[in-house]
Order: sequence, then structure tokens, then C-alpha cells
Amino acid sequence: MKLAKADKHPAWCPGCGNYPILETLKEVLDEKRPERDNLVLVSGIGQAAKLPHYVKANVFNGLHGRALPAATGIKLANHELEVLITSGDGDMYGEGGNHFIHAMRRNIGVKVLVHNNQVYGLTKGQASPTSDWDFVTGIQIHGVKTLPFNPLALAIIEDCSFVARSFAGDKEHLKQMMAAVLDHKDGFALLDIFQPCVTFNHVNTYKWYRDRVKPLPKNYDPFDREAALKVALSGGEELPIGIIYRSKRKSYESHAKVLNKGPLVNQ
Amino acid sequence: MDLNIRIAGEAGQGLVSLGDILTGAFSSAGLHIFTSKSYMSRVRGGLNWYDVRIADSELFALKQQADLIIALSPEAKEILEETLSPKGIMLYSGDSDDANKQTINLDFVKIAQEVAGSKVMANAVAAGAIFAILGYETDTLFAYLKKEFQSKGEEIVKKNLQCAKKGYEKTKAKALKLKAPTGTNGPAEYMSGAAAMSLSAAVSGVKLVSAYPMTPGTATFTGLANLADKYGIIIEQAEDEISAINMICGAVYAGVPALTTTSGGGFALMCEGVSLAGMMELPIVIVIAQRPGPATGLPTRTAQEDLKFAINAGHGEFPRAIYAPGTIQQCYDLTRKALETAHKYQSPVIILTDQYLQDIQKNIGKLSDEYNPIDRHIVKDVGIDYKRYALDSENNGISPRALPGGKGLVICDSDEHDEEGHLTEDFEIRIAMHEKRMAKIDLLKNDLVCPDFHGSEDAELILVCWGSTFGACQEAAYQLNTKGRKTALLHYSQVWPLDASAVNKLLEKNKRIVVVEGNYTGQFLSLLKEQGLNGGCELMNRYDGLPFTAEFIMEELQS
Repeated sequence: MKLAKADKHPAWCPGCGNYPILETLKEVLDEKRPERDNLVLVSGIGQAAKLPHYVKANVFNGLHGRALPAATGIKLANHELEVLITSGDGDMYGEGGNHFIHAMRRNIGVKVLVHNNQVYGLTKGQASPTSDWDFVTGIQIHGVKTLPFNPLALAIIEDCSFVARSFAGDKEHLKQMMAAVLDHKDGFALLDIFQPCVTFNHVNTYKWYRDRVKPLPKNYDPFDREAALKVALSGGEELPIGIIYRSKRKSYESHAKVLNKGPLVNQ
Repeated sequence: MDLNIRIAGEAGQGLVSLGDILTGAFSSAGLHIFTSKSYMSRVRGGLNWYDVRIADSELFALKQQADLIIALSPEAKEILEETLSPKGIMLYSGDSDDANKQTINLDFVKIAQEVAGSKVMANAVAAGAIFAILGYETDTLFAYLKKEFQSKGEEIVKKNLQCAKKGYEKTKAKALKLKAPTGTNGPAEYMSGAAAMSLSAAVSGVKLVSAYPMTPGTATFTGLANLADKYGIIIEQAEDEISAINMICGAVYAGVPALTTTSGGGFALMCEGVSLAGMMELPIVIVIAQRPGPATGLPTRTAQEDLKFAINAGHGEFPRAIYAPGTIQQCYDLTRKALETAHKYQSPVIILTDQYLQDIQKNIGKLSDEYNPIDRHIVKDVGIDYKRYALDSENNGISPRALPGGKGLVICDSDEHDEEGHLTEDFEIRIAMHEKRMAKIDLLKNDLVCPDFHGSEDAELILVCWGSTFGACQEAAYQLNTKGRKTALLHYSQVWPLDASAVNKLLEKNKRIVVVEGNYTGQFLSLLKEQGLNGGCELMNRYDGLPFTAEFIMEELQS
């Protein structure tokens, strides 16, 4: 039996927030990275982690939660490669939580897009680390009783070199943020993207996000760490989007003297 | 002739430094040495010992009994007394009213303080005393101390020599002496199993080592860190073993030879990553230094309990090769072989060592430190039509491996994938891909390191062993032959894939076969049976956490 004909791309629901993310990424890559030789898309497991298959690039689609260690290995082996991770809230903040902490501690020069839909999609509707308090699922039948994980605040505390948030329902903003991620030269870049899940999350809908997201003011200074932390800790009825924090911290690989001679892979 | 010196005391008392001084001095004098360490899982206190065995011919194993015990603590003296050979000497660092005529009391610390004003130099006092008991002249000891402390300045050298001299003189005045072997042709260079593995990995071109510290695997990790600047290696202490193995998977995907080191518990965390390497066909190498389990077990002791675990680790089916060196030389040779096999067959490869083999030191000829990277079997300059998992490959079904960074995109997936590498759920592609991967088993079988047979063809008793038990079996066979019992040895240094035919040939000749291994269930014996063993073999096992010795094997054979 040949299932290949039925195995059409992408594997997402109609109206999924992953579509605008994919389309926007393709546009930004077409503009900024017409040559894909040195681009590696790395992912773990989940709906977001399937994205690399729909983009022309080198791909390392590894294990659930383990995109960051694999990406770190790739970057250290050949730091001339641009390593871009596409991941979900479960993959990056749940299963991969420990790696998330330590990759930012290193400030390894990889770029991470987290499609944050506040729910598990691939496993069909369980709570994720970013699900809101009281969010009801087939497992959390009395609602989620754990506080949602705050990736941005953690990233700022870790002095991650680039921390931003965007919304899949605002393509223009998303494109700006993705462009900024690609332009980011040195160190870890995190872009958390609110991504509505039309099938399993009927609370955090397109409208829900649209009513709450608010771009940062034009005079906002992302290099002010305390102000950035305040923004990251804000929430509720107003969800700031934009480049929340930047630091001038050098990347992990830039401290490795052995790499002054060029990429390890050529040594 | 040979003689076993056991330095024992609490962790933190400096017994390792004393052992190192003796090892260095003896080997520079042309003696054959064999050292081993026995330590508890603590940073201070407890009872640790460091054996330095010396001989006028090559040594292969440690000994249970000691001819000279240097006890640095009352507990060391009390507990280890029963391991002293009948005519042995106890050199006790301190005052005791021991009526035992075989004991010499000499307070190393007090003497060091009197002579040099420093407790630290108690080791030099002890070394001097040991040289006196063995009837050696002080010249090789002094020369070694000079060389060793040169970098710390003349004053330190001088004080160390004064301490050694004092220890020597005070002890020489006493009547107790031991007959010791004299130096012959023992090579001056000595190395531990872990150091030999590290050197081999470095010269073979390993460029990234990512690991999480875990005894006894850490010795290899540390060894590689010491070589990192010389050979241009990135050493990454990962946040956990899961990260470590996924990091090396990423690194080999990007093209550099990479390895990780761990022990049983850490390897348990790595299992999904091993499976990933099987699926993605990544040439990773994992060094597992075994210790007794289950769970945390005996963290600083030795075992051969993870053989079946290593063979079966990782969900799903995929081929792998597993090497189990038995000597320092094999640690060196098989680390390179492991890297070569991994790259040749694009498969995960495991090296099984253990606490005993990691820590033993032996003087062997100089191992080459010349950089000589392995063939990574990489195809270059592939075009845009490149398919990472091409099925029509001519190279025994192994798809040409290109690296990311060129025109041909390199796509790898942990899902079942098509020839390009994109995930697929198609059944026919699944069959083709699974068969392509599994076909490597036969290729690996055709490229085995054959077991080594040591001894005479007419031997009646054959000791079959694998990995680190080689030395003890070798020595037991030698002693049995000396006593007129014709004994030979069959040692496996590759344990997977496994071919039982060498044992079967011996069974056909009606040999008595005893499989010697460090676990409860007889894992290797049961694997031999699984691979078509034609007859009965006996099992001799040990699972107390201590290494095999010739004495143990002889006693077991008698009972």
C-alpha cells in the first residue's frame, strides 16, 4: 500500500496559526537568505517541529525536546552555519526545558522560533507549560492548576542576547521580528510567537490574542534589562509584542579559541 | 618475580600522590609496573587504596594480597592487615604499640614537618622509606622527585629530597626488608586505560566531546579535556546526558567526529539518542565505563553488567557495534577502530570499559601521539539532487554522506523518512529504509575483530572472557600452566555483533570451557548461547564490585 499520496504537506488543520508562521518565514528567507546552503533548520517533535520539512533548507528534525542540544552540536561543529530552530511550547519549554535554560546560559548562537499555542496539538489537546490557569482539557479536567511558564522573563534573567515576541495573526509584525532574528549576529535569539490553535485551544483564539497584543512603544529601549523584565512580567489584559530585550553579551562559540582557526569541521 | 605495594588511607590523605611518585620512579628504573585503584564514593575519609605492583617481567593484572602495605590511617592498618602476604611488611604512618614484628612505625607527617616544615612532603618521606624496605638505591627516586618538582622551584625540590632521604635513612636502620625485583626492560612510559582511550580519540580526530560527569566515565572525559588544546577539541560539559548525546548527534551531522563518555545510569538517559543515531545513521561513539548497578549501585567499583543493556539500548531495531578492550593497548587501538567503524557504517558504536580498566596503569611502549585523523567517509561537492538516504547506492547499501554547507541539502529526520530525508508514513518506503539500515548488521559481521586465543592448542581448560577480565585470566592461565594444568584463553574484544564459532571450535575438541565475567546472570555466556553455542560451558562470575584476580580465578576453579 502506498500512503505517500495521502501524505500531503503540511499536516496542519485549516486555519492553524502555523500557516502564517510558515508563509512569513518563507517570505523572510526568500528576501534575506536566497541561498540556503548554510542554513540548517533544527526541530524536535510537535506540529511546529514539522515546519522544516516545508522549507528548502538543510534539516535536522531530531527528538522531542532535544532541538537545542542538537543545534548546539551543529553550531559548535560548524559555526559558519546559520542554525534556526522551530519548536513548540511543549517541545521547547516542557520536554526541552532544561536545555532551554542551559543553552541560554551558554548564549550559543542559535535562533529559536517558538510557536506558542498554549496547548499540545500533536497529542491532541493536553495542557502545555504555557497553558493558562484553569484551562480545561481532557486530562486537566478540573483545569490547569500550575502557573504558566514565562519564557521571556527567564530569557532576560539568563541575559539571553535577543528576546522577542510576536503574534501569528499580525503578519507584518511577525515579519519584522523574523527579519530581526535573521539579522541578529551573535548569540542566542528567542522569538516566542503566539500561535492560535483552532482545534484544541478555544480560549486563546485569534480574537483573544488580537484583543490583547500591544506593540512596544517606539522609544522603548530593549537594552534596559530591568525595564525588559517588567515588560516580560506584565500580562493579563495586555500582552506586549516586539523586541523586549537585547544584550551585548558575546556568543558561546566566540569564546572558543579553537574556532579562531575556522570551523571545527574544516580543521 | 613480582611484588605488590598497597598504599592505603583516607580519601584526601595524599595516597594517590604517593602512588604516582612510586609508579613514576619504578617505571623510570625499568621495572614493569601495574597499578590499580580501589576507592570509596567520598571526597574525604573512608578507606581507599592504590596498588603498585612491580616485577621483572610483564604484568597483566592486580593481586589480592599485598607484600607491603603503607597504612596512612589506623583503619587502613586494621582492615587491610588480612590482605598482607605471610612474609609481608606493614609500614604504618604513626605510632602504634603493635607487637607485630612485621610492622614498621614511621610518622611520615611528623618527619616531614621536622625536616621541611610541611605536612605535604610526607609523601617523599614515605617514598624514601619504601625504597629502603625494598633495598633499592635512592638515585632513581631522587631523579624522579627532581623531575617532578622542578617546576615548583629549587627550594621545593631540595626539601622533597631531604624528606625522602630522611625516610630512607630511618627505615634502612630497621631490620625488616623485602626482596624486590630489579629493573630490566620495562618501558618508561605508562598509561591508564582512560588516558589511552583519550589519546586515541584525540589523534583519531575527535573534535567535540560532550558529556556529563559520572564516575568512572569521567576519567576519559578529563583525559580528553587535558588533550583539548593540543589537538583542537571542544569539550562541552552538558547539562545532562540527554543533552550530551543529542549534542554529539548534531556535531556528527555537521561533520566532526564526536563522542560522549558516561556510565550505566547516564547511558540509560542517553538511550533515545542512541536510537536517533540509529535512525538518522549518525556515526556517534559512546564510551560506557561500567560500574555495579542497579540504579546508583556501587559508584566507584567495577562490573561487566551493562553488556546486554548496551546491545539492546534504544527503542526500535538498528545495528550497532560494541567493542570491549581488555588491555591498555586495546583501549588505544579499539577507540580508533570504534570511530572508524562508526563512520564507515554510519552507525552508533559503543565502547564498553569499566572502573577497573579506566583506572589501571601499566607501562607499555609509547603510544603514538601523532595526529592522524580517521577517514570520515564523506562525499564532497554534491549537487542539488543529493539524497542523504539514497537507496540505489553502490557502497553496500550505505548512502553517501554529505555535510550541510554545500549545494546539496542534507536532510535528516528521526521519523521514518524517504530518500531525501523528509518524513514519510508510506509503508513501502518504510520497508525499504528499514531493510537498508538493518542490512548493516551483515556488513558489521563481516568486519569483526576476532577473539584472541592465547595459549597452546592442546590446552584442556579454556577460559573465555571479554573486556577487562583479560588480564586476570591471562595471569591465571599462566599460573595454571606453571602448575602443569594446560590452560588457554579466548578473549573477545568485540562483543557485538557476536560470533560463537571460535568457542564452538573449541567445544568440538572437547575442551572444558569456563566463561569468566563480572555479572550475576552470565550475560556473555547467554549471548553466546543465543548466537548458536554448540555445547555446555561453565560460568565463573563475580558481582561484588571488585575486579577479577588470578587468585580469585584459581580459587573458584578449585571449588
